[in-house]
Amino acid sequence: MLASVLSATLLGVEGRLVTVEVHVSNGLPAYNVVGLPDAAGRESRERVRAAMLSSELAWPMRRVTVNLAPGGLRKSGAGFELAVALGLLLASDGLPAGCLDGAGVLGELGLDGSIRPVPGTLALVDAFHRAGLRRVVVPVQNSGEAALVAGIEVCPARSLGELRSCLKGEQAWPAIPSRRAASAGTGGGPPDSESPDDDEGLDLADVRGLRIVRRALEVAVAGGHHMLLVGPPGVGKTMLARRITTIMPALPSHEALEVTRIHSVVGAVESGTLVTRPPFRAPHHTASTAALVGGGSGRAHPGEVTLAHRGVLFLDELAEFSPAALDALRQPLEERVVRISRQSSSLTFPADFLLIACSNPCPCAQPPAECSCSPERVARYRRRLSAPLLDRFDVRMWVGPPEAGDRPGESSASVRPRVKAAVERQRERYAGRRWHRNGGLPPGALRVHVVLDDVAEQTWREIIERRALTGRGAAAIRRVARTLADLEGAERVSSAHLERAAMMREDVP
Amino acid sequence: MSGAAAAVHGLSGTRVAAAALVNIRSMTPARLRALLTAWPDPREAVAAIARRDRRAVEVLRSLQHQGRTDLEALVAHWSRRLDLDRVARVLARRGTHVLLATEPDYPFADPVPSRPAVLLAEGRRLDAFDAPRVAIVGTRAASPHGLHDAFELGAFLARSGCTIVSGMAIGVDAAAHEGALDAGGRVVGVIATGLDIVYPRRHHVLFERAKAHGCLLTESAFATLPEPGRFPVRNRIIAGVADAVVVVEATIKGGARITAERALEYDRPVLVMPGSRRNAAAAGCNALLADGAHPLLDPSDVLVALGMTPGARRGWARRPRLQGDARRCLQACGGEPATIDQLASRTGLDPGALAQAVAECERIGALRRERGFLWPS
Repeated sequence: MLASVLSATLLGVEGRLVTVEVHVSNGLPAYNVVGLPDAAGRESRERVRAAMLSSELAWPMRRVTVNLAPGGLRKSGAGFELAVALGLLLASDGLPAGCLDGAGVLGELGLDGSIRPVPGTLALVDAFHRAGLRRVVVPVQNSGEAALVAGIEVCPARSLGELRSCLKGEQAWPAIPSRRAASAGTGGGPPDSESPDDDEGLDLADVRGLRIVRRALEVAVAGGHHMLLVGPPGVGKTMLARRITTIMPALPSHEALEVTRIHSVVGAVESGTLVTRPPFRAPHHTASTAALVGGGSGRAHPGEVTLAHRGVLFLDELAEFSPAALDALRQPLEERVVRISRQSSSLTFPADFLLIACSNPCPCAQPPAECSCSPERVARYRRRLSAPLLDRFDVRMWVGPPEAGDRPGESSASVRPRVKAAVERQRERYAGRRWHRNGGLPPGALRVHVVLDDVAEQTWREIIERRALTGRGAAAIRRVARTLADLEGAERVSSAHLERAAMMREDVP
Repeated sequence: MSGAAAAVHGLSGTRVAAAALVNIRSMTPARLRALLTAWPDPREAVAAIARRDRRAVEVLRSLQHQGRTDLEALVAHWSRRLDLDRVARVLARRGTHVLLATEPDYPFADPVPSRPAVLLAEGRRLDAFDAPRVAIVGTRAASPHGLHDAFELGAFLARSGCTIVSGMAIGVDAAAHEGALDAGGRVVGVIATGLDIVYPRRHHVLFERAKAHGCLLTESAFATLPEPGRFPVRNRIIAGVADAVVVVEATIKGGARITAERALEYDRPVLVMPGSRRNAAAAGCNALLADGAHPLLDPSDVLVALGMTPGARRGWARRPRLQGDARRCLQACGGEPATIDQLASRTGLDPGALAQAVAECERIGALRRERGFLWPS
């Protein structure tokens, strides 16, 4: 007797369909799982058996073979257990044949027959949807999340016994628990929430003074320019960086789904909530390379750069990160994806993030006039930040101690519309391109998209000479000038834009 | 015994013998001074060691801090290692000069007690010692302001006909040497290592320039490596060779303070540039001023201290005149480094106007960008 049920597993942050085949035959009672399960998969026997017995279902005293196909793909997690149990019921006529046709099944079992949630439901359900399935059985806790995928019927399951009745049509399906208002609408566009509700009441107005740095922050967000803040501790670098998401526009619907899917994989999102605000990730400087860019032992996990996808990766104390970890950042910064190569497979994680970094100027971290570090010590400290990495920062500002007369600045609410308008202007201009922000403009595209008239061209050359800029530095200033023009709604980049852009790119520490 | 090789480049047997004594590995300045006090002619000192004279052992034993060293064995060891011919060949090949405290070409103006008995010098312009000599010393961790001042002082004094003496270290030392060299002046670099060692390595160009337009001076044997203890000891030579000592930026415990204290001991005028209390690299300067050192307010003060006529020559480079926003920016700095944000807060200028004003200041050199801050020049 053979039955097969469709389920799915995670490969990186994508779902892959897995066919769970259950074969029940004569022979000594046995239970074997084949098809490259991980330890949790191999342990499923005890959970499936206890769950079935607790639900007053018969456990076949026969030879049971479970195959997870395709056989060459490594599967992870306990999310197949519900599929195995349903397969056993189908194979032993506990369920009417065909009741699971065109349906995907996800869920882990408890010993009492309850059905437990699985991570990454959104990605898994998305995989079912793309494979053309019409229905999905998911743990009730994940049902809200599953419902974010448009065009697939979600069947919430609370326990094995109840699920069996529902499938047989003896009982109605339980309701999908209501979700927070912010994420209303199954799979539709997110509500156009412009006021972020997850920023703990942070506001740019909390920051006093720093008039130029806050403008630079606005530029960084609007144009997608990576930003480096250098300065002694306690002058407001971190405070400023923490408020960056408050001036970012909400994620458009397709990006919101993309981000929610990633965060659901690591279980970092409340089920059923669509992430509509750009994520803000701030890993500690002791983070390993794998934690930062992804990978790790066993199943490849998305790293911080992937969790910061479409949002902000904030690295405080940049020079304290391990050189290997910082080096590994260069590839995602360049390609906007992370490639993780394994012996048997290679994975790609999305990693399109805005990098905001803070650093002390030297080990003693005092302002330069009060610094007591020897030149060798400073040089050694600065060597930790490689020139190629520093080159990626289009905006580089030094933050000094606050001034006596500093007043609170503009509020986030008044900055946000400017940023939004500039973002939309760029999206229009770069429609159909590989990049969508000025920060991603390749040097070759500068002449086309950042046109300089004769006066501006002369100013540009003068700045290059005055500041002894390299080719990369010159290109960065031109890109930032484009964003400054976009923020003002100006069509052309002027000399004034270039001078201000130059002001926002200080020399490397 | 050393006649042939020495005669080739005109070094007397006396000087070759002195160099040979310096180049004995376990020779120290104190031992050398004791030996040359007992035998004022180095040739006789060499001969005494060669015959393992009992008196040589007695002389060494009279010194302090000899510990439990077996001095008889030491002298015996020296007697085996002395090779005047080899030393003479090395001196000839390198063109090294040997300066003896007993000879008139010795660069110390007066017989201060701790002066080295023998100095080795290399360089094309030994006449650098003929001009008034000003030592410019300071910390290695100097601020851009300090480096700028050291450079300007070196250039001004070189143009006024002085030789600049310093220690070839990074920071103030190098800036002073470079200022003097760029102004076409003469320099004396007093180093703690052997003449065949370049330390710090990054100054190899400066070492070549110093040898071409002045000389390097040391009391150490060839191949002596940079050991921490040698630098403070070296500083007494800087103080002794100089006719006046200028301290630009010095930390509380730095070598520059040692140099200044030696100079006061040797009765040389010491001029100190006052600094901000915020500047850790100037705390030593202010401490010296509190102790009664002469404040240096204008480079020509040094000429006055040397008894020279300052003349009409201007001291510090004139500050550029500015108008409007640029002037406001410069005033907002208040002589201290500032970030662009601090200037924005203090001047109240909008970002566009500020960018223009700072660019103008940079263009004419009124503000300089260093370590991420804007420094008024």
